[in-house]
Amino acid sequence: METLVRVTDLTRRFGRHTALAGVDLTLARGEVLGLLGPNGAGKTTCLRILSGNLAPSSGRVEIAGRDLTRDPVGAKRLLGYLPERPPLYQDLRVEEYLRFCARLHRVPRTEVRTAVAEALRRCGLEDLGRQPIARLSKGFRQRLGIAQAILHRPRVLILDEPTDGLDPVQIREVRGLVRELARDCGVIFSSHILPEVQAVCDRVAILHQGRLVVGDQLGADTPTLIWRLRLAPPADAAALAALDCVAEANPLREDRFRVMLAPDQGPEELTRQLVAAGLGLRELRAERSDLERVFFDLIGVEEQL
Amino acid sequence: MIGTIAARELRGGLLTPLLWVLLGAGQVILAWVFLKVIEDFTGLGADERVASLSQELSLNLFGIAAVVAMLAAPLIAVRMLSAEFRDGSFDLLGAAPVHLSSVVLGKFLGIAVLLTPLCLLPALNLALLAGTADLDWGLVAAATLGLWLAALLFGAVGLYAASLSAQPGTAVLAAFGILLLFSIIGRAQDLAAQGLSLFGWLAWNEHLFWFLLGAVRLSDLAYFLMFTGIFLALTHRRLANRRLS
Repeated sequence: METLVRVTDLTRRFGRHTALAGVDLTLARGEVLGLLGPNGAGKTTCLRILSGNLAPSSGRVEIAGRDLTRDPVGAKRLLGYLPERPPLYQDLRVEEYLRFCARLHRVPRTEVRTAVAEALRRCGLEDLGRQPIARLSKGFRQRLGIAQAILHRPRVLILDEPTDGLDPVQIREVRGLVRELARDCGVIFSSHILPEVQAVCDRVAILHQGRLVVGDQLGADTPTLIWRLRLAPPADAAALAALDCVAEANPLREDRFRVMLAPDQGPEELTRQLVAAGLGLRELRAERSDLERVFFDLIGVEEQL
Repeated sequence: MIGTIAARELRGGLLTPLLWVLLGAGQVILAWVFLKVIEDFTGLGADERVASLSQELSLNLFGIAAVVAMLAAPLIAVRMLSAEFRDGSFDLLGAAPVHLSSVVLGKFLGIAVLLTPLCLLPALNLALLAGTADLDWGLVAAATLGLWLAALLFGAVGLYAASLSAQPGTAVLAAFGILLLFSIIGRAQDLAAQGLSLFGWLAWNEHLFWFLLGAVRLSDLAYFLMFTGIFLALTHRRLANRRLS
């Protein structure tokens, strides 16, 4: 598969503070890479470097084989970038702004009108072309930010928290749009919302304190074997561990337990056996999703029920 | 690409009230000076007059217009970089396939066009006297050119100051500071040893003075163009370094 972005040993320091340390990343065509991390992990710094807005202290960024430092103009031609704050001009109208962006990204004059109309349509802004940007709501501003990023059909799309400020319907639309765009290009998508990354991305890279702690393929949505439950007091831990479907049971608090099921067992069997044993089941829920668990494990935060 | 950026700056400048307020306030000040000069000149006898009407008007009207331009240029320039840093909209240019030199020149061209009406105001005021007074239009043209060149220098200084800070207020003060220094530096000549005229040469008003007398000297042209170029180069340097800081 064609590699669109190759980041090698990327380091960025701000004075004594190291915001990024030795980050390696790749992005292939047709792939959505989720950049995940808590606030201050270095996501925005990483994306600002990839967009050419910030120079790395060391390391290398290649966009479709073009070195971003040596050939910035050539590399940036292939990029679409939505920063954390949409880069909008308040004094322009929506269409004027997009026309300016199109010219800035060297869209041929004859194709500007079509490109603007297409971007407006894809982002659901068709009726707002004449609207002054200053009067747009936060959600529409975010959508306009996305529109300017996709306007020139970039090969690499960098989106820094694109669903920030959007309502649930818009979030779903943006997710669909990202998946649609990923057919022709590679997308790097940053977020601190785990389910969102899981819903949209093929692969995830977790940043913590400037270091890349994982960069793995997101697996298929396999059923979890780890469950959390709450029993009526007095909870009998030994009886719980003795159930056939339970491989391991660990008490968390006096009436709460973390249970690992035996392979091929499911929650329906666990529920049946708990009721049959008269353990007084009050609450049963799956432990956090795989990604969520990996995330918390990696950044060293203990899960609490 | 320079034209695209300049056109956007021009449109943004025309849409905000700042330019119109500056033009209105500038015209009120010029009209007052204009009337004062005419009144004083007509009140004097022919033997009491030390300069022609053209020279009197040129020195007073264009001189005060230069001060207005000095105050206006940083205010116009500051929204082109400093305010963009603050609002985050500069990231659009930073991520676009555009050379930094095109960004600097585009924005400077925008300032130059926006300042041009202000530079034409004195000449338009003088046009009221066409047919009633025998003015030296060559002198007026030279003074307009000098004023425009000075405004370009002020714009370049304003742009450089705007590149220094994401706080527009700080950037405006920095620009005023630099321009004030270039205005009064000529006075240091009096304090220094005789014959040391470097400080005098550095002051923009010393060079504008010759234009206002109707003399277009190559050395004065070179001064304005050179310092405008230097401040644009400093702006470019500052924007390039911004990616590193």
